[in-house]
Amino acid sequence: MKYMLRRLAMFVVALIVISIIVFVMLRILPGDIAAVMAGTNATPERVAALREQMGLNKPLVSQYFDWIGGLFHGDFGESMLTGQPVATVVGSRAAITFPLIVMGMAVALLIGIPLGYLSVRTTNRVVQSIYQSIAIIGGAIPALWGGLLLILLFAKGVGILPVFPAQGFPSTGWANPGKALMSLILPALTVGIIVGATIMRYTRASLQTISSSGYVEMAMACGMTRRKALWHVGLRLAMPQLVSVVGLTFAEMITGVMVIENLFALPGIGTGLVSDLGHRDLIAVQSELFMLAAFFLVIGLLVDLAHRALDPRLGEESND
Amino acid sequence: MTQQNNGSPTPQNEHSSASENTPNTSASTDSSLQAHAKSEKPRSPWRTWVIAIIAVIIVAAAVFAIVNHTRASRSAQQSAGEQADTVTIGLKLAPTNLDIRNTAGTALDQALIGNVYEGLVSRNSENKVTPGLAKSWDVSKDGLTYTFHLNKNMHFSNGDELNAQDVVWSIEQLEEKKYHDYDTLRNFKSVTAPDDDTVVITLSKPYSQLLWSLSGRAGLVFDKDAKYVAKTQAVGSGPYKLAKFTPNNSIELVADENYWGANKAKTKNVTLRYFADDDAAVNALKSGDVQVLAPVNATLAKSLGDDYTVKAGDGTDKYVLAMNNASGKATADKRVRQAIRYAIDHEQLIASRGGADKALGGPIPSLDPGYEDLTNLYPHDLAKAKKLLSEAGYSASNPLKLTLTYPNTYGTELGDQLRSQLKEANIDLKVNVVEFSTWLQDVYTDKDYDLSMVDHNESHDFSQWTNPDYYYGYDNKEVQDLASKALSSTDETQADEDLKAAAKIVSEDAAADWLFNYRVTSATAKGVEGFPFNMNQTVMPLAQLTYTPAK
Amino acid sequence: MTDATPHNTQSKQSKQSKQPRQSKRPEQLHGWRRTLHRAGIIVSTMWHHGTGRFSMIVLGIWVLVSIVSLFWTPQSLWATDGYNVWAKPSRTHWLGTDGTGADVFSWLMAGSRTNLLIVLLTVIFALAFGLLLVALMVSRNTALAHGSVVAIDALISIPTVLIALMLAVPLGASILGIVIACGFGYGLNLARVARPQALLAARSMYVQSALSNGASATRVFFTHVLTNIRPVVIVQCSLCAGTAVLAEAGLTYLGVGVPSGVPSWGVSLTSSVKFISIYPMTVIWPGLIVTVVVVALNLFGDALHDAADPLSNPRLRKAQ
Repeated sequence: MKYMLRRLAMFVVALIVISIIVFVMLRILPGDIAAVMAGTNATPERVAALREQMGLNKPLVSQYFDWIGGLFHGDFGESMLTGQPVATVVGSRAAITFPLIVMGMAVALLIGIPLGYLSVRTTNRVVQSIYQSIAIIGGAIPALWGGLLLILLFAKGVGILPVFPAQGFPSTGWANPGKALMSLILPALTVGIIVGATIMRYTRASLQTISSSGYVEMAMACGMTRRKALWHVGLRLAMPQLVSVVGLTFAEMITGVMVIENLFALPGIGTGLVSDLGHRDLIAVQSELFMLAAFFLVIGLLVDLAHRALDPRLGEESND
Repeated sequence: MTQQNNGSPTPQNEHSSASENTPNTSASTDSSLQAHAKSEKPRSPWRTWVIAIIAVIIVAAAVFAIVNHTRASRSAQQSAGEQADTVTIGLKLAPTNLDIRNTAGTALDQALIGNVYEGLVSRNSENKVTPGLAKSWDVSKDGLTYTFHLNKNMHFSNGDELNAQDVVWSIEQLEEKKYHDYDTLRNFKSVTAPDDDTVVITLSKPYSQLLWSLSGRAGLVFDKDAKYVAKTQAVGSGPYKLAKFTPNNSIELVADENYWGANKAKTKNVTLRYFADDDAAVNALKSGDVQVLAPVNATLAKSLGDDYTVKAGDGTDKYVLAMNNASGKATADKRVRQAIRYAIDHEQLIASRGGADKALGGPIPSLDPGYEDLTNLYPHDLAKAKKLLSEAGYSASNPLKLTLTYPNTYGTELGDQLRSQLKEANIDLKVNVVEFSTWLQDVYTDKDYDLSMVDHNESHDFSQWTNPDYYYGYDNKEVQDLASKALSSTDETQADEDLKAAAKIVSEDAAADWLFNYRVTSATAKGVEGFPFNMNQTVMPLAQLTYTPAK
Repeated sequence: MTDATPHNTQSKQSKQSKQPRQSKRPEQLHGWRRTLHRAGIIVSTMWHHGTGRFSMIVLGIWVLVSIVSLFWTPQSLWATDGYNVWAKPSRTHWLGTDGTGADVFSWLMAGSRTNLLIVLLTVIFALAFGLLLVALMVSRNTALAHGSVVAIDALISIPTVLIALMLAVPLGASILGIVIACGFGYGLNLARVARPQALLAARSMYVQSALSNGASATRVFFTHVLTNIRPVVIVQCSLCAGTAVLAEAGLTYLGVGVPSGVPSWGVSLTSSVKFISIYPMTVIWPGLIVTVVVVALNLFGDALHDAADPLSNPRLRKAQ
C-alpha cells in the first residue's frame, strides 16, 4: 500500500517535471514558428505581425501556465500551423499507431512465448542452439533494416513475392478496413519479429530459472511430466515477469515503431511528431511529447501494479 | 596481506548468484501450486497454440478476402475506355494548413490558386499574365492607373455573388493586415470600385510587375461575406471546391457544378496526395493509387516503364549557393567568390541528380523577364580557381576554411558533393545541415554564415539582389539603379533589357553561385490528359485534367 | 582505525581482479600478476567457447577497422563523383558507390569508429549513472532509497526515443544526444536489474561487520556491493552496447542521431534507403554489419559473464 502511494506520488511529480522539461527545451532552440510560416521572402514586419497574432510575444511563464491550465481541462491546445486541436490530430494518428502496436505485439507474443517455451522444453542441444540463435539474431536486427528486408521480400513493386503494399496508408483510412489492414501487415511483422525475439529471450530466461527452482520439480513429483509441469506451472509462474517485460518492451517498441512508421510512410504518431518537430509547431510538439511521456508513465504504473497484484511473493518486499 | 577479517563470503556469493534471475522467490506458494498441479486436467499444451494459430489463419484469410473483394469492385467501377471520375495526383511538399493569406510556401499556390481561388488576373504555364476574374484591363499612359473590367455573373462556390466590392475588400485587407505577399504590390496607393464590374488600382509610382504580382497571391479575391476557418477550409470562386483537407496528407477537391466561367472542371473529383518519401510516391504511381506524380525523383523515374509519360518541365527554382557578401567575411572578397564559382562543376552536380536540371549562370531563370544565358561566365576551371585563391592569400598549406549551412530539406548529397569539389581547389568546406527553422534564424535572420544553399523557387524575385539587408548582404548601387529603373518602367522591352544588364552584373560579381535551375520531372499514367508539366509546383490548374484508363 | 590499511589494499585488489570476491588461499599469486593470470584464464575460456570466440573475433575486427580507418580507407571519404552515382561493386569501389558517387566500403569502414565511440561513451555514461542509482537505492537513508526506487520505476517507462527527440530540440542531430538518451535509459535499467543483489549484499552480515569495524559507506559500496553485482553489470553493459548500436541506426534515420557528413553505419543505412526500389542491394551491407556486431556484443557479455564467474568456470576456481 505504502509503495503504491509513493509510486502514485512519483507519477505526478514525474509528469510535472516532464512538462517543464518539454516546455523549456522547446523554448531554447533557435528559430521560431512565425519565421517558418512567413517564409523566405517575408519582410520583418510580416513576421512581427504573425508573432503577435500567435501569442508568441507573451512572457514564457504565462505561456507555460496557459498550456498547463489547458491540459487540466483536457485542452491540449491547437496546432499553430494547422489550427487543428492537438487532441484531434493525435487521435487520428493514434488510429494508425495503436493498431500497429497491437498487431506488432500480437505477432511478438505469438512468436516469442511459444519459441521461448520450446527452447526450454527441448533437451536436444542442437535444437537448443538453433532457438538461441533465433533469439539473439532476431533481437540484433535494426528495425529499419528489418523493415527494408521485408519490403524487398514482400512489397508490391519491389519485392520478390509482391503481396503487400510497400508504403503508405490508404487515403480512405479505416473506411476501407481491408486495405488499411493490408498496409499495416508488413510494418507490424517488422516490429513483431524484433520484439518477439526479446520476449522469447525473457520467456526462456524466466522459464529456465523457474524450472531449476523447486516449483517444477515439485509439480513433477506430484505426477506431472516435465513438459506439463513446464507448461502449467512454469509458464504460470513466469507470467508476472512476462507482464512486466511486455510492459517494458512496449516502451522499447516505440523506437522501432517510429522508425517503421517513417519507413513505411504511415501517418502515425511517430511520423507526425518528427514532422511537427521539423516545423517547430511548438504547441503541438510539446503536447505530443507530454502525452506520449504521460502514456508511458501510465503504462509503467499499470505494469508495476499488475506485477504486484499477479505475484503474491512481492507483497513482503514492498514493506522493506 | 591477509584479509581474514573479511570472513569467508563464499556461501553468501553462491546464494546471490543462484538467485540472480529470480529475485524474491523466497516466499512460498508451494501449497497452491500443489493444488493446481492436482486439479489441472492433463490437457495437451499444444492445443492453445493450435487454436491461436488457426485463429490467425482465419483472420488472415478474411483479410485477403476483403482486400480481393474491394479490389475487384474497384476495377469493376473503372471500366476501360471511359473517363474516370476521380483522378489522384501525388505531390511532395504538403501544405500544413490552408490559410493562403498567412502561410508561406508554394504548396498552397500549387493546390489552391486557379483551382479553388481565383485572382484578378491569372498566370499561364509560360509564366505570362492572362485574364482571370478580370476579362481585360487598361493601363494609363503614365503607368499609375490600372482599370480592370470584370467578368459578369461571377459567384463564389457558396453561391455568394462576386463583384468589384469583393476585389476591393480583398486587396484592402491584404494591405491592412499585411498578409503574405502584400509587399509584392509595390507603390500601391488605392483600390476603388467605380461600379460593380470595374476595379481601379492606382499607384504612387509606376511598377512594371504589378500585373504579374496580381496573378499570384496578392491578386486573389476572397468572399467578404463568407465565414470560415481559413486554416482548414477554403471558399473561393474557382472551378473546384474544397471537399476535405487532411493536414500533411491530402486535399480532396470536387468540381463546382455551378462554376461561373467556361473553364469548367472536366473531372469530378481530384485528390491531391502528399508523399514525403520519393519511393513511396513512385510505388503509389506503380500500384495505381495515383495517376500523376509531380515531382517524381529523376533517378526513380528511370524505373517507370512505357506505361507512363515522364517529362521535365521548366520552372523558376534556383538552387542558390549564397555567399555572405557582408564585410568581415572571407567571402566578402570577390576573388574568393569567383574562385568558388570556378571550382564548382555544375554539369557533374546535374548528372548526379539524374540529368533533368538545367545549368543556370545568373539570378534570372528562363521563365522570368530579363533572362539571358550566363553559364559561360564561370565555366568549371580549377586552375583559375586556385590562381584567384592564391591572389587572395590562400594556399594548400593555408587553405580557405568555410562553412556551408543549409536546411535539411535538400538532403545531404549536395553538401557532400560541394565539399568534395571545393576540396580540389584547396577550400576546406565544413557542411552543416540544419533544421529549416534553425536556418531561418541563423542564416536568414542573423546572417551568421559563410555559404548557404536554398532553392529559391519564387518567380520575379530579382529584388533580392537590390536589398542590402537581405541575407546575401549584396550591395551594388548600379544593380539597384538598373533594377529600380526596370521596375518603374512603363516599357516592357526596356524593363527586360535593364533587368538583363543588372543580372549580368550580379553574376559577374559572383554575388552567389547558381548551382542549377531545378526542373520538375512529372510522370503521368497513360490516359492522363491536360496536366501541366511546366511550373506545376507553383501553378497547377487542374480544370482540363482527365484520365481515361486504357485497356 | 588501525585496521584501515588491510582494508585499503583489499579494496584496490578487488577492483583490479576480474571476479567476485572469494576466500583466499595461501598459495595464491599476488597483485598484478594474479590479475593478469586471471584475465588470461578468462580470455582463454571465452576463446574455447564457440560464441565467445565468435564475439571476440567480430569485436576485434571492429576495433581494428576503426583504428585503420583513422589512417587509411580504400578511397577518400570525400571523393565524390557525380557521373558515377549508385555504381555497382567494382574493383575500385568494392561495395559500389552511394548517391554522391562516394565509396560505400570506405564510409562503412569510417563508420565503425563513430559507432565504437558512441558505444564506449554510452556504456560509460550508463555505468556511471546506473551505479550512482544503485548506490542511492542501497543507501542507509530510507527516504533516499525509497525515493530512488520509485523514481526509477517511474522513469524507466519513458522510451529512449522520446528522450532523444526532446534532446534533439535544442541539440539538433548530435552524437551527444544518442549517448545521453541511451545512457540514461540503460542506466535506469542497470540499476533496476542490479538492485535485488545489491540489496542482498548491502544488508549482508559481512557488510554489517565491515561497517561496525569503521569502514565508510563509500568503501563498502565499492568493495562489497560492486563486486557482488559485477556479473549482472557485465551483462547489462553488453546489452547496453548492443542497444546503443541499434539506437544509433534508428535515431539517425529519424534525423536526431548522427549528423550528416559524419560517417556512421546509421548514416550509411539511411542514405541507402532512398532508392531501395532500384538499387536494392545497397541496403544489405550496413544492416548486416549492425546485426553481426550487435549479436557479437550480446554474446560477448554472456561469455564474459560465464567466464569471469568462478561458479561457472572451474578453471578460474582451480586457479585460486
